[in-house]
Amino acid sequence: MNDKKKLDRRGFLGFATWAIGGIIGAGFGIPAIAYIIAPAMRKEEEQEWIRLGSASKVELGTPTLFKTKIEKQTGWITNEEEVSVYVLTENGRDFVAMSNICTHLGCRVRWISDQDVFFCPCHNAGFAKNGDVASGPPPRPLDQYQVKEEDGQLFVLGG
Amino acid sequence: MVLKIANWLDERVGWSGVWEAIFLRKIPKVNWFYTLGSATLFTAVNQAVTGILLTLYYVPTPDHAYDSVQYITTQIPMGWLIRGLHHWGASAMVVLTVLHMLRVILLGAYKYPREVTWFTGVFLLLIVVGFGFTGYLLPWDQKAYWGSAVGSSIAGAAPVIGEWVLRVVRGGSDLSAVTLARFYGVHVWVLPASLILLLGIHMYLVIKIGISAVPQREDEA
Repeated sequence: MNDKKKLDRRGFLGFATWAIGGIIGAGFGIPAIAYIIAPAMRKEEEQEWIRLGSASKVELGTPTLFKTKIEKQTGWITNEEEVSVYVLTENGRDFVAMSNICTHLGCRVRWISDQDVFFCPCHNAGFAKNGDVASGPPPRPLDQYQVKEEDGQLFVLGG
Repeated sequence: MVLKIANWLDERVGWSGVWEAIFLRKIPKVNWFYTLGSATLFTAVNQAVTGILLTLYYVPTPDHAYDSVQYITTQIPMGWLIRGLHHWGASAMVVLTVLHMLRVILLGAYKYPREVTWFTGVFLLLIVVGFGFTGYLLPWDQKAYWGSAVGSSIAGAAPVIGEWVLRVVRGGSDLSAVTLARFYGVHVWVLPASLILLLGIHMYLVIKIGISAVPQREDEA
């Protein structure tokens, strides 16, 4: 603003109108942005230890299927999701927990004990007992969960 | 640089003429009661902005309406503020619309040549009341449900056609998902479209004709 020109009444009111309008605009704009981007600012849900069941149910040397349900919260809706995990142990102390989802296209694999293989019916894929690809199109071994045993109960980290 | 671009644009678009016609027009010396129309317009803008924001999360079905409103209020940052502005803004808009109307009546501003402005204003008042009535149901809580049950049943009291009107309003004989869906549709599509159309005419006339002066005694005029 020009120093030599004195701010007249008209100029002052014009300036005040813009200033107040700007404050009101920011008063709407800033909360609006916070409101709109809220879902992206939310922290990713932390993974939790999911209880599978008793460790004694796992047969030595045979992948054993555990099924459990977890709750997933999206917006205001709570959904139940089924989690299926194959647990393998050779000595009863060290456990390997594998997802039953085929790494090819996401079908469910199942353990065929006669043939010693995880079989995926979609494209005839086979996985070895430890999850390695034995045959067919899968690009990588079965995904593994972090697993722990506490008081005879098995837990995997997921969610 | 900015001025250069502004001038280049203005030469082709001519917005400065529009700006002058709207904001730099001559008005008679009037009092603060003459700002009630602008105040009503401000609440209308507030309702539009906050209402659009609410639709980002709100779901108009019996399964989700209440929960989504609670989600907005308690889980979304500033959701309480957006909802609060819309809630209280609605009451403010009704009050200001009525006060604006009273000013127009009491200061004789509806007279020649401003009758058409008045006619559009009458329908705008009905639209505002319609917004209030349809919006009241949307939170789908007890107050909303029973308030709308009573409110809509008034339509059923009309002789002969009452029963039929009631079923049109509710989308059936009882308040249901159909009622919620149509109240929502009317609230966010039918009424806003009507409001924009009528408000456009209303404000075009206010600017075109100019606002009325405060009435004077004959001998002073």
